[in-house]
Amino acid sequence: MGIPLRQYYRLLARYLSPQKRMVSLLGILIVANLMLQLARPQLLRIFVDTATGTRSDYALGVTALAFVIVALLGSALEACSEYVSETVGWTAANKLRGDLAAHCLALDMSFHKAHTPGELIERLDGDVTKLSRFFSQLVIGVFANALLLVGVVIVLFREDYRVGIGLGVFTLSAVGVLTYLRGIAVPYWAATRQLSGKFYGFLAEHLAGTEDIRANGARGYVMFRFFEQLRAWLPAMRKAYVADVSLWGATILTFALGNAIAFGLSAYLWAEGLVTIGAIFMIIQYTELLRWPIEQIRNQMQELQRAGASIARVVSLLEKRSRVVDGHVSALPSGPLSVELRGTSFSYEPDEDPVLQDITLRLEPGKVLGLLGRTGSGKTTLARLLLRLYDPTDGSVEIGGVSTRDTTLAALRSKVAFVTQDVQLFQATIRDNLTLFDPGVTDNQALAVLSELGLGAWLDSQPLGLDTVLAPGGAGMSAGEAQLLALARCFLMDPGLVVLDEASSRLDPATEHLLERAVTRLLANRTGVIIAHRLETVERADDILILEHGHVIEHGSRVDLLHQPDSRFNALLQTGLKELLV
Amino acid sequence: MRMFHAVRRMILYRPYLYLMNALAWAAVYMFLLLSGLIAREFFAGITGEQADFNVLTIMAMLIAVALARVSCILMGAYTDATLRFSVSGLLRHNLLKGVLRRPGAEALSCSPGEAVSYFRDDAEQVEDFISWTSDMLGTIGFAVAAMGILISISPRIAVFVFLPLFVVMVVFQKATARFEAYRQASRDSTAAVTGFMGEVFGAVQSIQLAQAEQHVAHRLQTLNEVRRRLALRDRAFSLLLDSFTGSSVSLGTGIILLVAGQAMQAGDFSVGDFALFVNYLGLATGFSEFFGFFLGHVKQTSVALGRMLELLPGLPAEDLVRANHLFLQGELSPPLPAPRTEDPLRVLAAQGLSFRYPNSDKGIAGINLTIQRGEFVVVTGRIGAGKTTFLRALLGLVTLQSGQVLWNEGPIQNLADFMTPPRVAFTSQVPILFSDTIRGNIVLGEATAEHTLGAAVHSAVLEPDIAGFEMGLDTVVGSKGVRLSGGQVQRVSAARMFARNADLLVFDDLSSALDVDTERQMWERVFADPNRTCLVVSHRQAALRRADHIIVLKDGRVVDEGKLDALLERCDEMRTLMNWRDDIALEA
Repeated sequence: MGIPLRQYYRLLARYLSPQKRMVSLLGILIVANLMLQLARPQLLRIFVDTATGTRSDYALGVTALAFVIVALLGSALEACSEYVSETVGWTAANKLRGDLAAHCLALDMSFHKAHTPGELIERLDGDVTKLSRFFSQLVIGVFANALLLVGVVIVLFREDYRVGIGLGVFTLSAVGVLTYLRGIAVPYWAATRQLSGKFYGFLAEHLAGTEDIRANGARGYVMFRFFEQLRAWLPAMRKAYVADVSLWGATILTFALGNAIAFGLSAYLWAEGLVTIGAIFMIIQYTELLRWPIEQIRNQMQELQRAGASIARVVSLLEKRSRVVDGHVSALPSGPLSVELRGTSFSYEPDEDPVLQDITLRLEPGKVLGLLGRTGSGKTTLARLLLRLYDPTDGSVEIGGVSTRDTTLAALRSKVAFVTQDVQLFQATIRDNLTLFDPGVTDNQALAVLSELGLGAWLDSQPLGLDTVLAPGGAGMSAGEAQLLALARCFLMDPGLVVLDEASSRLDPATEHLLERAVTRLLANRTGVIIAHRLETVERADDILILEHGHVIEHGSRVDLLHQPDSRFNALLQTGLKELLV
Repeated sequence: MRMFHAVRRMILYRPYLYLMNALAWAAVYMFLLLSGLIAREFFAGITGEQADFNVLTIMAMLIAVALARVSCILMGAYTDATLRFSVSGLLRHNLLKGVLRRPGAEALSCSPGEAVSYFRDDAEQVEDFISWTSDMLGTIGFAVAAMGILISISPRIAVFVFLPLFVVMVVFQKATARFEAYRQASRDSTAAVTGFMGEVFGAVQSIQLAQAEQHVAHRLQTLNEVRRRLALRDRAFSLLLDSFTGSSVSLGTGIILLVAGQAMQAGDFSVGDFALFVNYLGLATGFSEFFGFFLGHVKQTSVALGRMLELLPGLPAEDLVRANHLFLQGELSPPLPAPRTEDPLRVLAAQGLSFRYPNSDKGIAGINLTIQRGEFVVVTGRIGAGKTTFLRALLGLVTLQSGQVLWNEGPIQNLADFMTPPRVAFTSQVPILFSDTIRGNIVLGEATAEHTLGAAVHSAVLEPDIAGFEMGLDTVVGSKGVRLSGGQVQRVSAARMFARNADLLVFDDLSSALDVDTERQMWERVFADPNRTCLVVSHRQAALRRADHIIVLKDGRVVDEGKLDALLERCDEMRTLMNWRDDIALEA
């Protein structure tokens, strides 16, 4: 059935051992509840025998009272043990989720390039939630239910071995048959879910595109596709519903059979004069008692199996190792840093064409390098190597005279800042977006940086100031404002080298002006590498490097290149300016 | 709209299906009564009250009843699935149809994501409720019959069976709202966790570079902790309810024990009777939970209906529940292309168009415009000058506050319906493509001749991109397919516009995603056909230089209009706009 027991055990030991006391408490609650459940039919038997006999009213009263007390206590214990087990499960699952998140955050970009955020959510949330039930209910639940079944059969054996054998065999076969049938509806539900996912995807898309639909007269087309989706969805849903209730039907039939067996055996024992009427009543009550644990075990086996798949995925995720490992140099020199690439080549995958080939360059401390080239020429990749998001496949990258391979990531990244073109914003407060959730940054620091960069007016227009929560994806913030915020992040860390991938989208003049000013301040007494999209930015570069297909095709000081009429740099400026002269 | 009316309309949408479903489930519940009676017969038989007793007959009867019940369940599942699907399908159909009848740019009063939740959750709520009404009928049938049987045996003891049940029902009804509120809070906290995870792993590079891994992990744990607390609260509440029900039944059983015990000793209550009472009490408890749960959902269903109506402001409430064909079976044919117009464009005129966005001072005021057939008219202005709003107003994508639009001198009554193909076609600034092939996105389900399609692709300068895709025009785009760049999306959308063969083409700012060369190429191809009439938002020189007429907008008003040269001489705003330097074409 594919349940990797050893992995189960390791995971359980790791995440349940910190909660030993809760787990022991749970064990006690479960066993106590079990005893009470077993006691109830016994009390009913005494009651029936007393009521049909000649004993006193007093005895009847006592039995009734005992029954009520046992039942009330049972309800309370049931609720308590459920609650404790949920607590244990959630605590363990949250711990696992935290461990996994920390682990994934530490993995290098080649891992994240291969795994989408959606996929990681499915691992960290989908799989772990399944495991939460595994921690809380499955192991303990299967154990408790099995114990209850065994308890019932033992009690029945003590009554009469024939009853014990009859209902024991029934219990075993019921568990077997129902466990065998348990997965009957799963594929149908999966098919239905797929169709419903498709349907809601269709809806979301078309609700977002009402403007295009209306203006291009596509209403009929949209309704046509709507009907198409419904037609495919209904038969799948019907099948899933019918398959779902078949399992219920099988359970009904199985227990009808169980009751029939109990009736038959009881009638036989009664005819032989071996049991009282109270005992028959009790046997039938015990048969009823079997139903719940058998159904539970059926469901739990299914979940255990699903948990198996989840465990395998979670374990393999935990075994992933980062390709970028810490070096031994734990601090870079202070002040502006030099940059030196020696014969640096890089490809994202071993069998892919190199994105950068044999790049050699030196940038003196405090100087600014303008990086030019078409999309796909390797500009961004080069920037990534400076930050050691990847290690070069050949050659070396030295920052401040130290090879990036030799530094710790912490040392490197506290001295090198990277401002990307697409600034990542969180649906969180402006403060958190600025500090990236670092509680160590004071409000005064945050406010000072924002107003220094000219975002003061923008901040004042936000209803809750620093506590304003940004809309998902930074909606409502222009690309320029987002990049200003990203620059503000850099100001908080005081780097020695700034790598800037300039926003290429059109900005309004006011924001553009603010950005210019902010970049000027940020580059003061710092080394800069800028992927430029704007003439003003090119003008601030001391050196220019032009990349094409991963090769350097031109490199030199900007002024020199400007004075060579046949330089690529001059040609680029001409095409760039041509638009102005149309 | 009154809740009762809506429920009645839903039930009467497919009355026979509803009836079949109700009958099937009533049978499922009623068969439970038989099982109790059989057990009673068994005890009567062995204690000798019943002559000619044969335990095999009893056993066979048990199995037969179970088989009959299972058949009803299978049938009920089939009818229930169909009924549910018809109810929510009809609501979703009416919602979608209603939303698409509203002006395109203000079709939704909330985000598309939120709107999808109305389509999904609120329609499901009503679907559940309608399905549960048939369960209710069955349950009531069961309760009445069971009460009849118990009263016929011992009216005094029967009272004690139904008293705790009543309490359970009331408690469940009261508790349902809170229960759902807890559940919702718990779900929201889950969404907060997964939403944050999505953002974090989408921004993992920034986080690593800022060395914010620990802070982020810490925030995630905080959110997880909130979620754990809310999930446990939700669970604790439902456990409390279960425990309460369990206790009520225990007390009820205890009282039956006491009263029945005396009756049994007195000989007017048999062991079989006792077995029947205990059996029915257990069953009836579950049903009274359901009863209370159902009543608790009346309010929620009414809220769900209200929310769905909010999606359709200005439309009659009846539109939400109106019976419509869902084409679940039978012929379903694709839509026919719009017929050619009998009144081709000679001149389009807008007079005094005004529109202001709600709760904002942004908008346009008193804009006039005339376009003759074959003209190329450019609207220009700064960001936020009202260019897009003007196009929307002209196309009926927002509701005009004043002004009118005339087609060949005749005023247009319903702009939103009129300004569509084959008269007008449009490319919006941020077009949306649907999860379909590129071809599907261009033809929009209409039978389109290959040469029309080819011409549209050519005009939109899309051929090099198509050639680059392995599947060509049949490349699937969207969430499940190839991810197109912003410029490619804009050009597919332009091809969609060209394929409509409309009299008037309206382009909203292409330069936001197209590079200078491609845009120029597109204009060249557009001008290859001198018969084309175009209204264009742009501030690119390539467009401005070719314009027959330029309209300069500022703060929602026309500041000047005319040919470029004249405007450059007399209009400050035009000069300012021209002095904006276009991006250097490094990316070209």
